[in-house]
Amino acid sequence: MNTRALALHDEGFTARLGMWVFLASEVMFFGGIFVTYAYGRSHWPQGFAEAGRHTHVVIGTVNTALLLTSSAVVAFASACAQHARMRRWTGRLLWLTAAFGAAFLALKGVEYAKEWQEGLVPGAGFVLATPGAQLFSMLYFFATGLHALHLAIGIALVGAMAWGAGRRRAWADAEAVEMGALYWHFVDIVWIFLYPLIYLLGRHA
Amino acid sequence: MTESEFRRHGWRLLAAWAVLIVLMLASLGSAYVPLGRGNVAVGLAIALAKAGIVAALFMGLARAPALLRVVGCFALGTLLLLIGLSGIDYATRAVAPAPFQGSLR
Repeated sequence: MNTRALALHDEGFTARLGMWVFLASEVMFFGGIFVTYAYGRSHWPQGFAEAGRHTHVVIGTVNTALLLTSSAVVAFASACAQHARMRRWTGRLLWLTAAFGAAFLALKGVEYAKEWQEGLVPGAGFVLATPGAQLFSMLYFFATGLHALHLAIGIALVGAMAWGAGRRRAWADAEAVEMGALYWHFVDIVWIFLYPLIYLLGRHA
Repeated sequence: MTESEFRRHGWRLLAAWAVLIVLMLASLGSAYVPLGRGNVAVGLAIALAKAGIVAALFMGLARAPALLRVVGCFALGTLLLLIGLSGIDYATRAVAPAPFQGSLR
C-alpha cells in the first residue's frame, strides 16, 4: 500500500487495522495450546475424559455466561461512545464490563481452590490414575491461567477507559474505547473455545 | 451514528447476546447426550458459531472494510494451516515418553 492509499484512510482505520493484526498474532499464541490439547486428547482419550469430568461445569458455565454478557455490554459501550446523546453511558457500561470480568476471575479463583482441595493440581498428590489425566490437568491450568492473565489485562484496560470516558478525557475517545472492546471480545472468543474442550468432555459417561 | 442506526445496532447486540446464551446452553445440553465423537464435533461447531457472532456483530467485522476482514480470515487460515502441519507430524510419530514421565499419568 503506498502513501497515497494510506492517506485515504482515517486514523481510526489505521488503529483498527493495527489492533486486528495484533489479535491475529494472539490467535497464533493461543493456537499452540489447542494443538497440544488435540494431541493429548487423541492419544489419551480416557485420561482426558476422566479429568474433564472432574472439572466444575456449573462454575465454567456461569463464567461463560458472564463473559458473553460482558462482551455484549462492552459492544454497547462502544456504540454509546460513537453516539452524542448516549456518550455519558460509556463510562458506566465499561465499569460494568470490568465488573463482569472481575466476577469471572473471582469464580475462577474459587474453582482453583476447590481443585487444590480435591487433589486435581498436577504434582505428587494428584488423585486421578488414568494415563493422560494429569496432562489434561496441566493443560487446563496453563490454558485457563493464560486466559486469566489476558482477562486481567483486559480489566485494567477497560477500567482505565471507563475512568477516562467518565471524565471525558481525550485519550478515552470512541476510537480508544473500540480498541479496548476489540481486545475484550478476543479474550471472550478464546474462552468460547476453551469452554467445550475443558468442561464438556466425558460428561455423558 | 444516527439515532435510528444506534437503535437498530442496540437491538442487534441484544439479539446476538440472547442467541449466544441459547447456543451456550445447547452446547452444555449436547454434552450429556452420548454421541461418541459427535460430542466434540457439536461442541466445536457451536463454539465456531458463537465466535462467528462475536466477530461479525460485536467486533463489527460484518460491516468492516475488506482489509480488516482479510486480516481476520488470514489469521484463521494460518492457524488452520499450522494446526494441520503439526497434526501430520504428531500423527506419524510414535509416543516415546521420557523416563521421568513414567506412565504419563
